[in-house]
Parts: sequence; C-alpha cells; structure tokens
Amino acid sequence: MAEEQMEEASTAAAATPFQLQFDKPIPFQIKMAEWNPEKDLLAMVTDDSKVLLHRFNWQRLWTVSPGKCITSICWSPDGKIVALGTEDGLILLHDVENGKMLRRIKSHDVAIVCLNWAEDEPQSKTDKDGLLSYEDRTTRFFPPAPVVPRIGGLSSGDTCLGDENEESIQEFSSASCQRFNILCSGDKDGCICFSIFGIFPVGKININEVPIHVQSSGSKASYRLQDASISKVSLSGNLHKLVLLCSGKLIDIDNISHSNDISGGLHCLHLDTSIFFNRKNELHQVSQQASSIQYLVEVVRASISMMAKQWSGAMNLFNEKFSVLPSLITAHGMESSSEDEFMSLLFGTRTSPALHQFLVSSLGEAALKRIAKSVDSAGRELRVVVSEHLQPAVEIISFRLAELRGLARWRSRFQNIGLDEKLIDGVTERIGMLVVQVERFSRVTATVLYLFQNFFSWVLKCVKILLSEPTDQVPAANSEFVVLFLKFLLDKDPIKQLLDADQRFECHLDTAKHLEQLVVLGGFTDTHFLERSLMKQFNELEESLKEAFSMPFTTISSQIHCQALLPLYPITSLVDLSSTCNLTSVSFYKDEDSQHSGPSYRLTDYICFKIPDGSLNLRNCIGVIKDFSNSSTSTPSLSGFLLRIPDEYECVDLSLYKDSQIVVLLSERSCSDNPGRSYIVMLQTENFSFVPLSKIFPSNIYSIQELAALELQLDTDYGKVRSVPHAVSTPLAVSASRGVACVFSSRRHALVYILDEDEDEDEDEVSDME
Amino acid sequence: MAFEGVCHLLANLVEYCNSSETSYDFAEDEAFNSEIEMSNFMDANIHVRDAIFDKYSKGYAPESHMGEGSSSLVHASTSLHDFDEGIFKAEDNPDCLRSRWQLEAYLNQQADILEKDPSLVPLNSFNATMSQLQALAPELHRVQFLQYLNALTHDDYIAALDNLHRYFDYSAGMQGIFSRSSSSFQDIIVGKYESALLCLGNLHCYFGHPKKALEAFTEAVRVSQMNNDDSCLAYILGAISNLLSKIGMSSTIGTIGSPYSLGNNIGLGTPLSIQQQLLVLLKRSLKRADTLKLTSLVSFDHLSLAKFDLKHVQRPLVSFGPNAYTKLRTCPADVCKNLRLSSHVLTDFGVDGLSASSDNGSFSTSWLRNLSAASNSWCSSSTKSRKVLTNDFDNFHFHAQPSPIPAAVLQLAGSAYLLRATAWEHYGSAPMVRMNSLVYATCFADAASSSELSLAYVKLIQHLAAFKGYSAAFSALKLAEEKFPSTANSHIQLLKMQLLHERALHRGQLKIAQQICDEFGVLSSSVSGVDIELKTEASLRHARTLLAAKQFSQAANVANSLFSTCYKYNMQVENANVLLLLAEIHKNSDNAVLGLPYALASQSFCKSFNLDLLEASATLTLAELWLALGSTHAKRALSLACQSLPMILGHGGMELRARAHIVLAKCHLSDPKFKVTEDPCSVLDPLNQAVEDLQVLEYHEMAAEAYYLKALVYNNLGKLDEREEAAASFREHTIALENPYNEADSLSY
Repeated sequence: MAEEQMEEASTAAAATPFQLQFDKPIPFQIKMAEWNPEKDLLAMVTDDSKVLLHRFNWQRLWTVSPGKCITSICWSPDGKIVALGTEDGLILLHDVENGKMLRRIKSHDVAIVCLNWAEDEPQSKTDKDGLLSYEDRTTRFFPPAPVVPRIGGLSSGDTCLGDENEESIQEFSSASCQRFNILCSGDKDGCICFSIFGIFPVGKININEVPIHVQSSGSKASYRLQDASISKVSLSGNLHKLVLLCSGKLIDIDNISHSNDISGGLHCLHLDTSIFFNRKNELHQVSQQASSIQYLVEVVRASISMMAKQWSGAMNLFNEKFSVLPSLITAHGMESSSEDEFMSLLFGTRTSPALHQFLVSSLGEAALKRIAKSVDSAGRELRVVVSEHLQPAVEIISFRLAELRGLARWRSRFQNIGLDEKLIDGVTERIGMLVVQVERFSRVTATVLYLFQNFFSWVLKCVKILLSEPTDQVPAANSEFVVLFLKFLLDKDPIKQLLDADQRFECHLDTAKHLEQLVVLGGFTDTHFLERSLMKQFNELEESLKEAFSMPFTTISSQIHCQALLPLYPITSLVDLSSTCNLTSVSFYKDEDSQHSGPSYRLTDYICFKIPDGSLNLRNCIGVIKDFSNSSTSTPSLSGFLLRIPDEYECVDLSLYKDSQIVVLLSERSCSDNPGRSYIVMLQTENFSFVPLSKIFPSNIYSIQELAALELQLDTDYGKVRSVPHAVSTPLAVSASRGVACVFSSRRHALVYILDEDEDEDEDEVSDME
Repeated sequence: MAFEGVCHLLANLVEYCNSSETSYDFAEDEAFNSEIEMSNFMDANIHVRDAIFDKYSKGYAPESHMGEGSSSLVHASTSLHDFDEGIFKAEDNPDCLRSRWQLEAYLNQQADILEKDPSLVPLNSFNATMSQLQALAPELHRVQFLQYLNALTHDDYIAALDNLHRYFDYSAGMQGIFSRSSSSFQDIIVGKYESALLCLGNLHCYFGHPKKALEAFTEAVRVSQMNNDDSCLAYILGAISNLLSKIGMSSTIGTIGSPYSLGNNIGLGTPLSIQQQLLVLLKRSLKRADTLKLTSLVSFDHLSLAKFDLKHVQRPLVSFGPNAYTKLRTCPADVCKNLRLSSHVLTDFGVDGLSASSDNGSFSTSWLRNLSAASNSWCSSSTKSRKVLTNDFDNFHFHAQPSPIPAAVLQLAGSAYLLRATAWEHYGSAPMVRMNSLVYATCFADAASSSELSLAYVKLIQHLAAFKGYSAAFSALKLAEEKFPSTANSHIQLLKMQLLHERALHRGQLKIAQQICDEFGVLSSSVSGVDIELKTEASLRHARTLLAAKQFSQAANVANSLFSTCYKYNMQVENANVLLLLAEIHKNSDNAVLGLPYALASQSFCKSFNLDLLEASATLTLAELWLALGSTHAKRALSLACQSLPMILGHGGMELRARAHIVLAKCHLSDPKFKVTEDPCSVLDPLNQAVEDLQVLEYHEMAAEAYYLKALVYNNLGKLDEREEAAASFREHTIALENPYNEADSLSY
C-alpha cells in the first residue's frame, strides 16, 4: 500500500505541492515527535511513553522506555542527545547512537512541559570576546578521564546497584561541549531552569515570583503572575532573550483588588537573558570544568562505594570463619583471647586444644584457602579501583579545580557570573586533602593486604603442620608481620574504617605538629583533616563543591529579568488550558533586511498560536505576532495579524517553519463516520500585512482582538496547500533543516512530506535510498 | 655472617628476588640505589631553578638500599641504637652483648641515617667507628660498603673507590654462609663481578666521569649478557639511561658512541642522537623490568620516561615515507600516564610479592626467625616507643606500626608527586604545583630523604614567594632552615639565594643582586658539562641583573652565550627562557624590532613544549614590543595581551600579573580610539590590581609606573585629589628605587 501511494505521490508531484515521501503504518499512538536538527532522524514519544527513533527511511534505530511518563522532548543542537522531560520533573538525556541514558537531572518538581535547547551561533560574537582565548587544557594534559568502575566477574549477585550507577552517568564526550549551548526547561508550576550543555544547571526562575514591570503609559506598575504554567519556551539563537508563553492570572502587586478584569489567560513574556550572551565565554569555561568535575565526583563516589562493598564482602567471610574461635575458646573453658592463642602458637609454646580444633576441624585447609583467595581478590579489586579510577579521577578533579581557581582569580570577568574566589579556594583545599587521604588509603590498603597475605600463609602452614602434612608448598611467612597482624588486624578493619564516613581517628602529636609546620609553608590550614576518614573527606569536598557551584546558579538566576508582558487571550476554564496550549509555536528568525551589516544581525521572534474557540469572542482563529521581544524603539515593533480558518476546518496543529513560514495542519470537520480529509497548509507570513500593536501596558491586554481577522481560503495565494487523505491528529513534526514534515493519521499511519521542492538533491538522495 | 645474607634479605624485602641466585641481589640492590638516586636527581634536575642538586641527589641516594632493609629491622635497630641493655637481657645470650643481627641492624640504621641526611654523619668519626667494628668483626663486609657510601657522600673519591674495591675483593669469596643450594660458587663470583661493575659505574657517574662510568657499565652489560643475567641487565640499562640523562645531554661530549654503540644494538645503521639512545634504553629497561616483575625498576623507568617526555619530543626512530607523521610537540598526557604507572609501585605492592619471597625462602632463614622470635616479646612495648620515633604521617593508630612497605618503595611512589609538581611548574598550573608538593610533604615526610623533602619545601616556599610576597616566603624559609639545619643542604641554600636575588632586583638593590649572582657562579663546579643547570641559572640571573642595571649590551652578551650553551646541551626548555630574556633585553633597550623575533621564537618553543605559562608571558612580552612600536599597533598589542590574560591571571605569580595588568592599561591608553572618560574602569581596575600586587612585592620600578599611569588617568578624568595621591605614591616609589635603603639588612630577612 505504501508503494502504491509512493507512485501516486510521484505522479502527482508536479501538480500538488509537498511530495509524499512515504506512508508507513506505525503501531503506536504518537504524542510527540521531533526531528533531529542535524540528521534525518525522527524521535517520537508514544502514548505509553516509549521513545522511538526512526531513520528517514523509517528504519527503527532504537526504542527505550524510561518507565516514566514523558511530557516533553527536544534535541540537542548538535543532534547527538535527545532530552526528555518527565512528569515528575526529571530531565533525561539519551544518546542518539544507542538510546543509552547519559544523565538524569532533577531540576523540577513537577511535569516538565516544554524543553528548548539553544546553541550559541558562532556569528553572534561581541568584539571583546574575540580577543580572549580560553582553552580547556585537560585533554592536552591528561589521558581520557576514568570511568565509573564496574564490578568484576566475582560478585555478580549484587550488580544491580552498580548497573544503575553506570547507567546514570557517562562521561560527556568533550565534543558536545565544544559550542556553548543552553537547555531551558519549563514546568507546569511556572519554573524555568537553564542548564549549560544540558548538564550544568546555571539558573532557575519561578515565573510566579518574578516581578513584571510593565511599560505603562504613565506610572510604572509591577505585576505578578499567579498559578502560572509554562507552555512554551524559546531561547533566541544568540542567547539574548527568552520568549515564553505561559498561562496564569495576572495580579497587580500594588493593588490586588484591581486585578479582576484580567484574570486567567495566556500571556507572552520576554525574559532578558543577556547574561548568557554577555558572559558566554566565561560561562562556557566554568560549566565545562564544573560539569566534568561533577561527573568525576560521581566516579569517585562509585569507586569508594564499590571498594567498600568489595572489601566488606571479603571481610564478612573472614569474620564469619574466624569468629568461631572465641566461642571455641570459651567452650574449652579458657579465658584467653584469640590473639593470645595465635601468639602462643606463633612462639611455639603450645597449641591450645581450642585453637587446634579451630584450625583443623572448624576452619580447615580448604576454607582457609577460600578466605585467603577472597581477601586476595578483593584486594586486587581494591588496587585496580584505586589506581585506575580513584586516583586518576581525583587527579583530574584537582586539575580542573585548579583551572577554575585560576579563572576565579580574574575577578573582573568571573565574579559577576558567581565564580567566587574564596569558595573555589576552599574547594581546592579540600581536594588537596582528598588526595592526601587517597594516598593514605592506598598505603594502608597495601599494608593491610600484605599483612593478610602473610597471615594466611602462616596459618596455612600451621594447619599443615598440625595435620602433619608437608609444608614445603606453603610460602614462608614473616613472623614479625604475623604479630602485627594479630595485634592490629585480627579484630580491627582499618580499610573499612577509612571507607566509613562516621569514623574519626586520633591524630598523633607528631603528625599534628608536622601539619602545623606545613601551614607556615602554605599547607592546609585545617590541620585536623587526617582525623577524618576518606569517605568523610569526600563528603566534605562534595559539600563545598555544591556550595561553590550554587553561587553561579544563584547569581545568574538573579540576573534574569522579565522585560515585557503581552497578554494574548483569556482562558475561561482550566479545561481549555490543557487542550489548547499546545497549539502554539515560537521561533526566532534572522532578520535579513536588517540595517546592520557584517556578523551582527537581529533576531525577530514570531509567535503563532491558536486562539481557543470562544475566547475573545473569536472562533477558529490563529494569531501571529512578531517583534514582541524587540525592546528597541527605532526598529519596527510589535505587530501581528489574525487569521480565521473556514468553519468547515479545524486547526489540528501548527508550527513555524524556516523563513517566516507557518505550517498549519487542518482537518475537515466530519459530521459523519467517513474519514475526513486533512490539509497541510504552508503560509508565507510576508503575504500578510502585520498590523502594529500597542506595547504600552493597559492597552496591550488582549490587543489581538482588535485586529480584523482575515479569512483563510485554502485556494488563495497565501501559501501552498496539500490535502492528506486521512484524518490527522497531533503532533505535526516539522524539520526546518531538512525541509520535511511528518504527520500522523488517526489510523496510526505516519506520513512524511517534503516541504521544500527546491531541495532536489535531497529527494534524489532519498529516492536512491529507496 | 656476611653481607650477602643481608643483601639477600634486603633484596627480598624490596621484592627483587625473582632470580634464584644470590649474586643478583646485590646488583639489584645497587641498581636500586641508582634508581632512587636517579629519581631524586631527576626531580631536582628538572626544576629549572634548582640546578645545583646533582651532587646531593647523587650523594644520599646510594645509601638508600640499606635503608630499605632497616625499615623492616626496625625493632632491632632501634633497640641497638638505644643500647638499652635491659630490653635485651632477657633474650640475649648474656655472654654475647650484641648478636649478629643486632649488628646488622645497627649498620642498617646507620645506612638509614646516611640516606636521610648525609650531612648528619661526620666523615671521620663515622669511619673510626666503622674501622673499630671491622677490627672486631672482620667478617662483616658491609662495614666496608658503609664506608664506601660515607666517602661517597663526603665527596672523597679515593676513599670511596678504595672501599668499594675492598668490599668486593674481600667479600667475593665469603658468601657461603647463606648461599642457597641452587647457586653455585661460580655463579656467585660472576654475579658479584657484574654488581661490582655496576657499583663502580655509579661511582664514576657520581663523580662526573662519564667515560669511565660507561666503560664499567659496558663491561657489566657484557658480563651479564654472558651469564644470562636478565635482571642485572635491566638494572644496568636503567643505570646507563640515568648516566645519559645526567651528563649525556651535550652532543659534544662524545663519550657515548664508541664503547657502547647502541646504534648497532638496535640494528640501525645510523647513529642515534643521545636523546634517542636514552629513550631506547629506557624503553628496553622498562620492558625487561616488566617481564621480570621488578616493580621498583618498572616504577623508576616510568619516572624516567615521564621526565624524558616532560622535556623532550619523542620522535619515532624510523621515519620515512610520506606517511611518517612526526608531531613536534611534547606529549603531556604521556607524562601523566607514566607518572600514574610509576605510582603503581605502592598500590601494587605485594601483589605477587609474597609468593616471590617464598620462592627464595629467605624469610625462612634461621637468622630472621631468631630476629622475629626475639623481637616478639618486646614488640608491644617497642611499638609504643616507635610511635614517637618515626612515621610522622599516618600514625593513625594502626599505621604507626612498622610497615612491610620498605621506605624505598614509598620514596619511589613519592617521587611521582614531586615530579608532578615539577611538571606543573612547566605546564603552568600554580595550584597543582602547590598541591602536589604539599601532598608529598604531608604523606612522604617519613620516608623521604632530607634532600627530597627539602625540594618539596622549596617548591612550597617558591609558591609562597610568588603569590604571597617575600615576607611570607622568608618566614617559611626560616622554618625550613630549622628543619634542615645543615648548611650543606643545597636546595634550601639555593632557594634562599634565589629569593634574596629576586627581592634585591625588585627593590633596586643592584649591588646586592650582583653579589648574589657571583655567589651563584661559585656554587657550580668548574668542569664543563657538570652542573649545567646551576650554571644556566647563574648566568640567567647575571643577565637579569645586568638588565636591571641597564647595561644592555653586556646583558645581551651573557644571554647570547647562555643561549649557545643551552643549545649545545640541547636544553630546549631553558632555551625558551633565554630567548624570552633576550626579547626583554631588546625591549628595554628600546629596540623593539630586534626583540620581536626573539619573543616569537620563545613563543613557538613554548608551544611545542607545552610551557603554557611561559608562553603566556612571551605573548605578553610580544604585546609590549608591539606597543613600543607605536600607538598604531595598540590594537594588536591589546589582542595579544588579552590572549595571555587567562593563563597569567590564573596561574602567574604576582609580578607577572601586575605586569599584565599594566600592559593592559597601557594598551588602552595608547589606543587613539580609546577615551578614558568613556570607560575609566577598564584602565583603573587593572591598575589598581597591579598596584595591590606590587606593594606586596616591593617592586618599586613597576609600582612607580603603575602609579604614574594612574595619575595620568585621574588627570584625564579631572579627579584632582586622586591624581595628587597617585602622584605622591609615584614619587615615593621613585625615591625608594633611587636610594635603596639600608643595604646591610637586605641580605637578612
């Protein structure tokens, strides 16, 4: 059937616009779809929140089901990562290659309604920034960063936790951090979060709490939105401004009683995010270092927890076997400790019956060898983790922190993005201490393992002697170290103590003195850090990191202001809200005929929305406005037009496309059961006359209603129309970079149309593939 | 009981005992000395400013092999040292006051002391004690070895050679006591010969006789090849590479080549450059050590490789054809990898060590059993006292115990941190330098020899001087001098002179600066090709002093001859420094055009050796030079200055930062399009920052300049009060510069 339609499409291509590429059945109900900006890939979210990735030839690449209700989707600008927003406020980043989850970021508390991932366009440079050259030197000085340790083959029983860790964090390829980009996410409760590279949170604002200073004719009035819910965010390509659509009640802060006339409605807000633009080089640096540090901190955490697990496994076995001895001793009516018994065995004075029984019957040679082996293999794991994961991770963290500290010393540039010199200094101190702790840990581990090894071979020898077996196969043990073992390891576990956050150690006087001397030489000012355990030190590092990185977060959040407000249309009931809000589209277009020459250009915002029936006394209307976020006075400002769709059609979805075009998906209102037809309409906005609208506050409320609605005729010259022989449903996925649109019929078919006929190469290529 | 037993034991302790023959142990031991020696040397050596240390790093190192032993024999040695008869009476045979192992332990302890701080051991009295011991116990040959080491550390060539000869002559046939059945008499004799040659080579190497050293090594290689003595060969290779890295850097020395033609060994007809030979040797030694599981040697080789990578571009041995891609840059990631691998010596300690020792069965010797049996009863009390005595790191209650990890292993692991600090000095990351030195000083203070530890201190103090000013640095220096009281401790001495020199230059006390320069010159040996690093630094400082005295042509002469020396000895990193200095000289002599090529050359050197901070300062100099060419170039100068800013502000010391700030302000001011009134902050901010830093440094000349500029700016802005204030400060600094006050106190602090 698909082939038939293909042929039909190709024969009809000359006559009808938008050639049908194919029509494939799809066994799911699709609720969201988004084209990859770089490649011919279409990501779709099904009703039951599976994510599918299809190639242009409809070959499926992968399917993942995150197990959460997905409420929004968007691609990273380089097309390598797909971001999913979930109902419980998580952002999940998935790799395009295999669908593997890269990160899970919790920045919201409620459903994330919209995502927008904007990349800094290389042209938008300020003069001064060109002079500065920052470089991430880490790749030059270090081999690739360590990864989260995996649990070796031995203890496969408890890998679930490890697996989870491993899935939740992966090193971001440094390639994806090449260009500065910001992921904005808006949630149902009116919070917007910004994160650089999608992983490093730099700001969060709550629309409900942002004072909105409106340009009113005379006095300045400030308003506030109540019960705001974001429905669309869009960050301009130069990161200068953010346009967002949100519904909520507008409240006059100064005069609450006054606010009755304009209650709930859809509002359009312009946020000034020029901090991102002005400080993007600095932010880029900081976030690149910081996000990598955060990743490596995870590596360290996983390493420590894995070591603790491995070691406690081995120690449990050891304790389980050796704890029999004290009870045996009491059973034999003696009062000595196990240590004494072993000691007397070592000195050859006597072998008490209890110890004899323990060694020969209750422990036995095989069990002893098993314990020795398990301790040994745990020791090996520990060594590998320390040298392959823990030490390199800590080393790279310290280098990156040193770089950050270097940046922080440049107060004039970095202070205003919240990189605080003192805080970073504190973190640098902490990482130094952590390095010392790791060093101590590795030394203690080496010693303990050696002593264990020595002890086991001694015990083995003893067992053999007691069994009067030949002992020449057993490695000889150093009896001095056996004493050490008996004294210090038999009933203590220094490795575990170091991995335990609550342990405190006594620091010897000499050590304390030595550390105090080092302070004069510029050493660590906290001279008691050796009293802490490795784990505790790590926790402290983490805390201070959190504190240091929260500074940029709060500083930047406080620098994002609301610039302008435009109420679009009132919403009478909440029911309307959920159903209609999706039918909006915000986009920025480069202003071609801008008077600025050269690399600088202006971005014009276009907002296109369907006005719900009944609101503003309009039916079946689409509003389009532009230049809303343009705050300058010289250039053309806020204007728009209103479009009435003929009554027999219903707007299913709409989307702004490429160069100021609008793609509208209409379906016939079918009164009977027969499946109605649908239409894809592409409208050129240049063909419409934009009518200037007022920006001044009281008069701009719902000013769109003052516009005369133009009747849209499907056969007019406003744009191109193509009929689709199916009833269609949302969503409409349009790819500006590829010039294609995908619509989904209600009968579970996906239809891909080529919107740009001029792109011949594209079609050729595709037909070759077919 | 002969020293072989001890050597044997020692070797086992350090996990060298993969070979089943006694003879190797000594070789390994000795080579291990050289390892330590080399690692120490290496740290010292790389450090541009601390060029002098050759002698000391060589000096203390050879003892360390004995030191290794002592750590495990601690009980014995401490008790003997205390001469606490009470402890012993219970177990000891009352007739014999000191058993053999006690004596051994005493020797070990002496070796330990020698190793930690050679200057603590007076040459003659120590020799007297040793002679006495020898008279009493002629079979204790290690006494001779100790004497040899003692002579070595006190630079007594003849005595050292004599004792070494005696040691090997006497002990050659005496190994029988602890020889295992597996090793025949002949083997031992032969093995001894190799070890003796190795020792001899090290001796010559230490005294700066590369030819003789090489002869000895070559012979050792021949003999060990003849005897299939793989591990000894690995050590010899390590020793040769050490020799090469130390003295072979001059292509004109020409000692290599004929006796030991490496080129032939590799099978390439073409003669290789010294660096390539070194690289080949290191790689081979590493491979051998790896297969033989000589963990310490592996670690050492990694360290040497890291050191090599730090300063040299690795070129492929064979490169022909159009596809042969040669990257003419150093590879810092390799340095990092090697350093990480080298610190595996600690984490991997004992991975298969116990099994190795059991093969040899050395721990089961009755000798050691006696030791442990005797030590056990007083173990608890002794450990308590030990806590106080040693281990000032990690006496975290468990770890204060005698550790099975020998000090030598810890030293190797520690040198990785020192080398890291040095590497970051090169690559330009001030916090990393501080952190790594600090980690070393904190974690390895117990194991480190005084020379290494003082090197870490030196780095810390230098960091203080650069970032906190001289007063902090000098108070820290005082502490360090207390800690290392010996006047002979060259690191600290040198540091003191460096600091004094820099301060004198900043304060404009040129006479004092010159005086210190002369002292520098005296420190180094007069033989050419020895103490190169020290000589380089001396003439670098000389040139600086001349520059400060505005004797430009003389300064340029010194710098030029220094450049040719560095070129001759293939010291590329120093070259970058000298070129930058030349550029500065030309800049200050108002010859900016001449300075440009030097600055550019220095910049490109820095690029290929990844010397980021130096590159940034070269870029800054370049900006100054352009600025000197006239205001039309202000824009270019500004862009250059901005390029260098992130690096300089992040990692540069106060002086460099202040300079960068002043240059930035000057660039703005000389730009004809720039209007002060429009954007006063972009000029005043950097100037204020610069003034802040310069006040701490007491750098009068630059402070005066900064205040002058400030006054200008305020004048333009019409802020008269501020202008007068700045002008007054300017005057103050100019006067201070012209009349350096109280010269007498400038040598004190």
